[in-house]
Amino acid sequence: MGFYAIQLECMVATWGILVLLVDAFKPFPNKRTVGYVMAGFVTVALLWSFCIQPVDGVFFHGMVRLDPLALYFKRLFLLALAMVLVMAAEFSPRIESGMVEFYALLMFCATGMLLIASVNDFILLFVSLELVTITFYVLASYLRRQVASLEAGTKYLILGALSSGFTVYGIAYIFGTTGTTNFDKLAEILRTQGGTPSAPFIFGMLLVLTGLGFKIASVPFQIWAPDVYQGAPTPVTAFLAVGSKAAGFALLLRVLYTGLLPVNAVWNTLVMVLAGATLLYGNLGAIPQHNIKRLLGYSSIGHAGYLLMGVAAVNALGAGAVLFYLGQYAFTVLCAFLAIIATTAATGSDEIPSFSGLGRRSPILGLALFLSMMSLAGIPPLSGFFGKFQLFAAVIGRARTDWHYYVLAGIGAAAVVISLYFYLGVGRAIYLQEAEDASPISVSTPMRIALYVCMGAMIGLGIFQRPLVEASITAAKVFGLR
Amino acid sequence: MESLLTIAILLPLAAAFVAFLFPADKPKGIRALAILATGVSLLLTLYIFSQFDRTQAGYQFVKSIEWLPTWKISLKFGVDGISMTLLLLVGFVSFCGALVSSEIHDREKEYYILFLALTTGISGTFASMDLFFFYFFYELAVIPMYLLIGMWGSLPPGKHGRTKEYATMKLTLYLTAGAVLALIGLLMIYFVGGTTDIERLQHNIWLASNTQMRAFPLLLFGFGFLASMWPFHTWSPLGYAAAPTAASMMHAGVLKKLGAYGIIRLALPLLPEGARHWANLIAILACFNILYAGWAALTQKDWKFVIGYSSVSHMGYVLLGIATLNVVGVTGAVLMMFAHGVMAALTFALIGFFYHQTHNRFVPDLSGLARKIPFIGVCMVMAVMASSGLPGFANFVGEVMVFIGSWQQGSTIFRVATICAVWGIVVTATYLLWAVRTSFFGPFDEKWSMLKDAVSFRQKFPYALLLAVLLAVGFWPRLLTDIIKRSVETTIVSRTGPPEPDKPPGSVPGNNLVKR
Repeated sequence: MGFYAIQLECMVATWGILVLLVDAFKPFPNKRTVGYVMAGFVTVALLWSFCIQPVDGVFFHGMVRLDPLALYFKRLFLLALAMVLVMAAEFSPRIESGMVEFYALLMFCATGMLLIASVNDFILLFVSLELVTITFYVLASYLRRQVASLEAGTKYLILGALSSGFTVYGIAYIFGTTGTTNFDKLAEILRTQGGTPSAPFIFGMLLVLTGLGFKIASVPFQIWAPDVYQGAPTPVTAFLAVGSKAAGFALLLRVLYTGLLPVNAVWNTLVMVLAGATLLYGNLGAIPQHNIKRLLGYSSIGHAGYLLMGVAAVNALGAGAVLFYLGQYAFTVLCAFLAIIATTAATGSDEIPSFSGLGRRSPILGLALFLSMMSLAGIPPLSGFFGKFQLFAAVIGRARTDWHYYVLAGIGAAAVVISLYFYLGVGRAIYLQEAEDASPISVSTPMRIALYVCMGAMIGLGIFQRPLVEASITAAKVFGLR
Repeated sequence: MESLLTIAILLPLAAAFVAFLFPADKPKGIRALAILATGVSLLLTLYIFSQFDRTQAGYQFVKSIEWLPTWKISLKFGVDGISMTLLLLVGFVSFCGALVSSEIHDREKEYYILFLALTTGISGTFASMDLFFFYFFYELAVIPMYLLIGMWGSLPPGKHGRTKEYATMKLTLYLTAGAVLALIGLLMIYFVGGTTDIERLQHNIWLASNTQMRAFPLLLFGFGFLASMWPFHTWSPLGYAAAPTAASMMHAGVLKKLGAYGIIRLALPLLPEGARHWANLIAILACFNILYAGWAALTQKDWKFVIGYSSVSHMGYVLLGIATLNVVGVTGAVLMMFAHGVMAALTFALIGFFYHQTHNRFVPDLSGLARKIPFIGVCMVMAVMASSGLPGFANFVGEVMVFIGSWQQGSTIFRVATICAVWGIVVTATYLLWAVRTSFFGPFDEKWSMLKDAVSFRQKFPYALLLAVLLAVGFWPRLLTDIIKRSVETTIVSRTGPPEPDKPPGSVPGNNLVKR
């Protein structure tokens, strides 16, 4: 029965192994088509996930959950995986060898993410987190002959290993002080103890938060993000930005809102301060950037800050807002990276000036990149606007009882204005500046479909927010917050 | 019948979508579509105006669609006297703006899509009866403006040493900064008031005193950024100067009015105690607007900068009218918004007409233009007269009402402010008459002999239409003041305390409109 809960994980992992094996015995002639076919398969899995009903209760001795929250994240990861496979196929001419392994690694990484969505125990948390992180070590340094890619892989490896160490050390402390690794039991024990846990427990909690802070690239564990985003192959960067970030927040929400909810007074202020610092660091750091992947690295730090605002609010509104934001953020960021991959395939450069005149060279790529930048900045009628609206609403709603939240909202407001400046810097290149080489850029059909899906979702969710809002609220109900 | 208003508002956006599907190599078709959409939208607005019940104070033509039940947000459009007046303004200015856009010959498709989206953004804000959608449409107007200025604008080099890219970025950042400030205030109102329905908030809900005190400055300065309130006005003249003609028209004519409208529609009725507390500050800032911007206009040499600073100065009258919080003053402010909107659009259209041919709008370089382009010259003289507040034009009525309202208010600050404001008229007349005398009269300069006047009816029509509106309202101000006054009375002036408890919550608004 437990396999009902992890059927999507099994599907994705099996397909990854299958592709590897087939390629080992009889290599595929056209690696690009393989990517498109796999993207198609993942899309089918995504559609299939809508036939899976959420189940009340736990599987595998309380390790795994299949609640609406888990399904919400699973769908998000499958969506991201499908889009990233399209990107990888587009990117395949630039990867010298091992293209099929590249696809397979993406599948294994996604398996880890799918597991993360269901985590209900610190042990599974660590295992699935490692599955994701270790595949990313390999993926980030996949362009073996490029120093930047190797640098990205090494940086991610060293810092990632360090943060994994912290996490597992923290888990040991939590287990040592409470005698359990299960989130539900942990919450029960903490509730009976009252609001003030022991010092070793808090120490363990902080170490676990360190590990999660690394995943979501929040201050002070954010240093790796710009370098890795810039150096890694672009599909990997996209998967980091969408999948890895969402996985980090899935874990953060699970840990903080179920296991550690009884002691929220202890971590609440910390999360608030981190949110403010992350917002400022990410958005200010992005201003001088002239490489678009690096810019998006800083922007991703900034968005971790916005999301942490919602986490810090500790109310139903905030949890729903974080989920909605992650959902729309996936479409927005994927749209940006799709457009970047298609453009750099023609121009061969990630520098922002090389996007000059994109609006004329390829109207669809120009529009897609411009819309995604505006959605990241939170301009209506795009989905990013409603995402930010909800996050601000959650914080202001909380501010009525605690005025410190007004300060957080003020920092968020300043961050919005700052971010508009650098996002419009990309917009300026696309529409206001003229290209030296004005030759049109061609866009392949699968790419075009993916772009239209993302743009449609950005505009659609920006105007008709209802479906995703309701899905996110249903998912957020599992926390039982008010 | 109720849907007419919604259609009038969303029609330009629908046209923008159709234009998006249009092939880009058929610019004439797209232009025709834009003119048609704004024209039909104007006709619908005029029809709504003719059917508007002038004896009733509440919202009319209300159409509500449930949008997001979890947030209790609905897409709700409706008009009262204030928003009716401003919707008429949007109708006239956007139609004339589309007509004079024939000067655009590059990327027409994108141009008209953005122009139409901008139009819906503005009219949607004026007609929204829901906080969320008010803000949604408000923000929607910002980005089209960025691209319109950045892609089709022009900024001749000058002492300012700026490029059009700088100008448009500055404008966007200022407007967004104001918008997020206002958003925080609006969310405070939402959480305390418990609803996003503006009508309910206006009539059935009285927010706690400390919320009012705190939220008011957020809304005042948030919307004040867009209303070019001193000292947050610096984006505005630069933005006008860099914008293409139609964008300047929309910007000076209507976009800027959104800021003042936000204060009149939300800050004053929802936060009456806060308004009384902060009124003196508004009056003082308004004086700075009038005199400081007027003084700045005196030193300008570029036609668009002259009019740009003049427009900042005129927003001072609007703000002063708002600060009075009495019927005459606020009604005057709304009428002033209308009159100034039409006048500013007319002036920018006329500047655009000759700048397109001369590629020079530096006042000392132009001389005797009226000999070659007499029609434009006459229109410009009329516009300048209107701007200086000559009787017979709508601006005169607005200004006088603001002065009377401000004097009636009675306190020393307002008496001084009134004197400053009256003095502002002299300043306005000085720079405008200088500019028009230098460039349109005096010895004719041979280098302008290639100028062509507007001869055909089609060329003359947009200017004549705007001028006719100014004169019509100038001679018959009650056409608008009657309906504005009723709405001002019920939503702003009669809000002195919490609604009486015997009124069941959610009762039909309008029942508790009786003056207390």
